[in-house]
Amino acid sequence: MQGPFTADVRPLFPNAAAATVLGRDAAKAAMKLSIDKVAEYLNLPPSTVERWVRQGRIPIQKTGESCSFDRTTLEKWAQQRGLFFGAPEEPSTCLPQSCHETLLAAMKRGGIVHHLRADSAAGALKAGVAHLPLLSTESRDILFERLLEREQLTSTGIGKGVAIPHPRSPLSGVDLPAMIATCFLESPLDFDAIDDRPVFVLFIILCPSLQQHLHLLSRLAFCLRNPEFEALLQSRPSAERLLAKVREIEKTLEGGGF
Amino acid sequence: MRFLKYWRYPAEWPILRVDDRLLLIIAGAIVGTSSGLAAVALNRSLVWMLDSLLAYRHFWWSFLLPAGGAALSALFLEKIVKEGAGHGVPEVIYSVSRRGGLLRFRSSYSRLISSALTIGSGGSAGPEAPVVMSGAAIGSSIARLFSLNERQRITLVGCGAAGAISSIFNAPIAGLVFTVEVVLGEWTALNIVPIAIASVAGTQISRILQGNQIAFAHHLFRVDLLDSAATVGLAAFTAAASILLTWALRRSHGVSTQLPAPLWLRAAIGGTVVGLIGYFFPVVIGEGYHWIQEMIEGAFVSGFGLALLLVFAKITATAFTLGWGGSGGIFGPCLVIGSLVGLTYHRLLEILWPSAGWIDGGCFALLGMAGLISGMLQAPLTGIFLISEITGGYGVILPLIIVSALSTTICQFLEPASFYLKELVERGQLLRPGTDGRVLADLSVSELIEKDCIAVQPNMLLGDLITIVQKSHRNYFPVEDAATGVFVGMVMLDDIRPYLFNPGMYHAVLLGQIMKTGIETVHPDDDLPEILERMDANHLYSMPVVANERFLGMISKATLLDRYRKELKVQTTLQ
Repeated sequence: MQGPFTADVRPLFPNAAAATVLGRDAAKAAMKLSIDKVAEYLNLPPSTVERWVRQGRIPIQKTGESCSFDRTTLEKWAQQRGLFFGAPEEPSTCLPQSCHETLLAAMKRGGIVHHLRADSAAGALKAGVAHLPLLSTESRDILFERLLEREQLTSTGIGKGVAIPHPRSPLSGVDLPAMIATCFLESPLDFDAIDDRPVFVLFIILCPSLQQHLHLLSRLAFCLRNPEFEALLQSRPSAERLLAKVREIEKTLEGGGF
Repeated sequence: MRFLKYWRYPAEWPILRVDDRLLLIIAGAIVGTSSGLAAVALNRSLVWMLDSLLAYRHFWWSFLLPAGGAALSALFLEKIVKEGAGHGVPEVIYSVSRRGGLLRFRSSYSRLISSALTIGSGGSAGPEAPVVMSGAAIGSSIARLFSLNERQRITLVGCGAAGAISSIFNAPIAGLVFTVEVVLGEWTALNIVPIAIASVAGTQISRILQGNQIAFAHHLFRVDLLDSAATVGLAAFTAAASILLTWALRRSHGVSTQLPAPLWLRAAIGGTVVGLIGYFFPVVIGEGYHWIQEMIEGAFVSGFGLALLLVFAKITATAFTLGWGGSGGIFGPCLVIGSLVGLTYHRLLEILWPSAGWIDGGCFALLGMAGLISGMLQAPLTGIFLISEITGGYGVILPLIIVSALSTTICQFLEPASFYLKELVERGQLLRPGTDGRVLADLSVSELIEKDCIAVQPNMLLGDLITIVQKSHRNYFPVEDAATGVFVGMVMLDDIRPYLFNPGMYHAVLLGQIMKTGIETVHPDDDLPEILERMDANHLYSMPVVANERFLGMISKATLLDRYRKELKVQTTLQ
């Protein structure tokens, strides 16, 4: 496979040299930074960098009237002064995928189970964890322990017969997308909930990051505040009806567009 | 044409762009040579003027000569070059401190001419400060020619000052030390080399043109312990004389500026007084270097009373020359007064303990000079090096150090800022490198302003603010009039926290009701030290920046600390 370019260049040594020189110039040009870029990298306003140039406090390359900055020189300069120099971090505090993660997708992933048989809160958690897809046996055991740990702290029974069991921090070593398993219990159980009412539905939340956990939790809480959604839960709806309602509520939340 | 353009911009010559340090050394040598030439030129013209006027000195009207010279010099400065009177060194320090070493080109010759007129006609002043000013202006102009940045320009201004002092006294170390200690106030690896080169260049020029002569040569003094001990008392005398001279200069300046007369007339009046004093005591006339020579050699015959009288006469003459509009420096008069003080002290010792076998009066004259320079400039190193160099007197270095150090300490105790710096300190314009004042002066409100505040309107409901709070990164919300955009007040989260979680109030309260009005604001042109003072006084951590009734942003102590640290690191790290 010989392209026309390589075929032309290979026999002509001077041309090849010229090409390298050109390449080096291009690399040099890539190392040059504008004043705005330098200001951004130093996390300072451009007016400060301009003043530093005027006062001679920052190394520059002068070419006639204009000046430019060399990246390696500046990196060394900043390091000597203990200044941070580098591309600024993304301003958004939550990662894009977590912000666009929807409750609907997480609930779909987690699955919806009806008639979960259990005679105690711990038993219900054990059975719920067993229904979570994609997890290895060890991870299931760890997750169950963590959920129990969390329950011992304070019950996750948030009232009106709903509980949202979740581990206190994201599970390490589990690289899975966020999911919420919805488990309707066969018979309501005492969950030590805040309103002392027996719990009939569990939403087990498992998220890879705290940010995403808060994001999904706030959406779930928004749904649970909705009286229609509450009534729907009481009727122990089928997966399709439940997800359709979630989709409807989420749409109002995002103003119709994703 | 291209060739011409090439010569027009020396800043683009490839040889000068090899290395910035090399460029500064070359430029420093040029500046040192030029200011050395300026010093020689002034020196020659002074000698020529004094010589040609010598013939008229015995006439009765000769007391009017200094008046004429001072009036001409004042007219020249005021009308022709349009520069204020002043001895020069404070102007140079001001320029280094506030203007990045920027000086006008005309300053490089204006002071030379005006001081030649003042001193040549008999005014009691020194030629050093004018030469320092002119050397500094040459340095600044050359820096502009090479389009150098402020730090390099300040170094070249220092080179000019160093070359001038080195050349006029034939004393390279004194030039170097004076520049670093008094003019720049900064001793770094970057500026010391070019300044040293400039000192060498200036001295070399003076040696080529004037010959390598020690300014005040003398025989060897043999100082024993008793004499060294006696210098402690001398330091008290020189310190007193420094304070007196400082006071007299400022006082006479204050009195003269209150007179309802033009500057040239005031200068003429001052000159007449000097002429009258000089008629009876010729020692006060001119820069008086040959009198110093006589005193050091021990050829100056006067008793205690006369010597003391001469001290006061010289101080008065200097005050009337410089305070009333004449042009010149205080360096020369300091040396004369210092040697007179030394002589007076020696005569006093001889009266009190005649059998103690005191060293020659010349030695005390020499030490007195060091004491007065150190006290007046509050620069002990300059005093020590200058006197040991211009007298070639390393033999007296021990009492020299004692008298310089003590004199500086006493003067500093009585008057915290030296004569050169006093006015600048009072105006808050003395900003030495690496100090708090320097860092705060460099930062400006426009560099610190934070613009990510979300503006609200007074007719919004509290409920509307809740949704804005969710989006905002800040705890402060400027309130702007919906129609005009005029800044009317601030809503601060701290103030409304109690109502923030009470949904019942969301639709009941307007932002106009809960906003704070009449709060302290900052203008973009305000000085940071003043802003910080106001923040401290009002226990504020941030203030809104408002101009033309428009909200521009917030300025906060947190951001200020961040920038302040960065600025300090950049300003104080060398290399």
